[in-house]
Amino acid sequence: MPKHDDWSDEATNPINVSIMPLSLEQQPCALQMIAGPGAPKTFDLFLDEAVVGRAIDADIPINSTDLSRRHMMLKRSGPSQYTVVDLESRNGVYLNGVKVHSAVLHDGDNLQLGTVMFVFHEGRGSTLPTPVP
Amino acid sequence: MTFYVHFWGTRGSIPTPGNLAKKYGGNTSCVEVRSDDTLLICDGGTGLRELGLDLLRRGDKPITGHLFFSHTHWDHIQGFPFFTPAYRADNTLRVYGTAEGDRRAFDLLSGQMRSVEYFPVDFAELKARIEPDHIDSGKRLIDGVRVRFFEQVHPGRSWAYSFEKDGQKVVFATDNEIDLALKNKDAARADPLLPRQLPEDLVEFARGADLLIADGQYFDDEYPERVGWGHPRATTAVDLAAAADVKQLAIFHHDPMHSDVDVDRKIVLCRERALRLRKDLVVFGAREGLELRLG
Repeated sequence: MPKHDDWSDEATNPINVSIMPLSLEQQPCALQMIAGPGAPKTFDLFLDEAVVGRAIDADIPINSTDLSRRHMMLKRSGPSQYTVVDLESRNGVYLNGVKVHSAVLHDGDNLQLGTVMFVFHEGRGSTLPTPVP
Repeated sequence: MTFYVHFWGTRGSIPTPGNLAKKYGGNTSCVEVRSDDTLLICDGGTGLRELGLDLLRRGDKPITGHLFFSHTHWDHIQGFPFFTPAYRADNTLRVYGTAEGDRRAFDLLSGQMRSVEYFPVDFAELKARIEPDHIDSGKRLIDGVRVRFFEQVHPGRSWAYSFEKDGQKVVFATDNEIDLALKNKDAARADPLLPRQLPEDLVEFARGADLLIADGQYFDDEYPERVGWGHPRATTAVDLAAAADVKQLAIFHHDPMHSDVDVDRKIVLCRERALRLRKDLVVFGAREGLELRLG
């Protein structure tokens, strides 16, 4: 076994730093509308399930006739992860140009519903934990 | 009638966990094709484990799964010992060979669970009913889905499968070094911009598919050093899809050395080629967690 005598003067001095656990609220995923009525506009995602549609009572209502009343749902499928599901919409959900039924979303994914376009962001704000003295 | 196609594993050769493969995923080959209550499973790479867990989440009904294997290299069978539905009584799994009497897939699949040297649980301990079956030269109907097979170019042999019902067609064709079967293979290798002359029988097999899931492991400039390894240039899959009037092409079996950024770049190059060959061809990179609805 090798000896590590030369390490003996390099003791590790523990530093007590409390780390405030990050909550999803501090870094919400977000849906950024880049084309459509009222664009640009960003919707932070706090709900486990958020319906996007033309209906006024949709979680994310978009006043566009290109959208079905309940067009797509964003379902939380993990920490900072959402899955998009097409709710049998008339014009479909296009992910990066491909018509999909459902898909796990990743940062920068483009979602197109008719002429309305969104970019999905996998969490925003500081990515560093906040030290608490 | 509607086919749902779900990608559970899109990586080739070896699982590649980690942040560099977050978008396209690190699990190896496994694709679920559903038609009504009919469950067709293409390959049993590590993605099969995820599919198994999801099947159990869907409910308590007994599961009947029809399993088709492109071939039995590790990255295509490794998930089977972890396929939870195989451990449950009342479930039925049919493992298809090509012609009658072809039990290679069944024997190798079960063989990896016949010795504790490979895996701690013996195949005999699986409670599901697991049986070999065969396709029989395209005459086989499974709940109204016509299944055909086509032999590809791959060390140790491999097969593509097509599934058709009510005018919808899905082709699963991974691990196919099409470049070696090109009629102008030397010229097409020397000049990647040259249109690739494909064998007619392969084109006919893929003809008119609503979705072609095709091996597209390599960049053009990588391929010369990997000739004979059993995988094509991704751009050659584009030529096949264009020649066969395929509607959508999913580039599959991503190289384990390729990060998400690399795969993105590969898809951009494939789309540029598709624009030159057939403008309405949709090309995308198969990625874990993506489900398409056809029909």
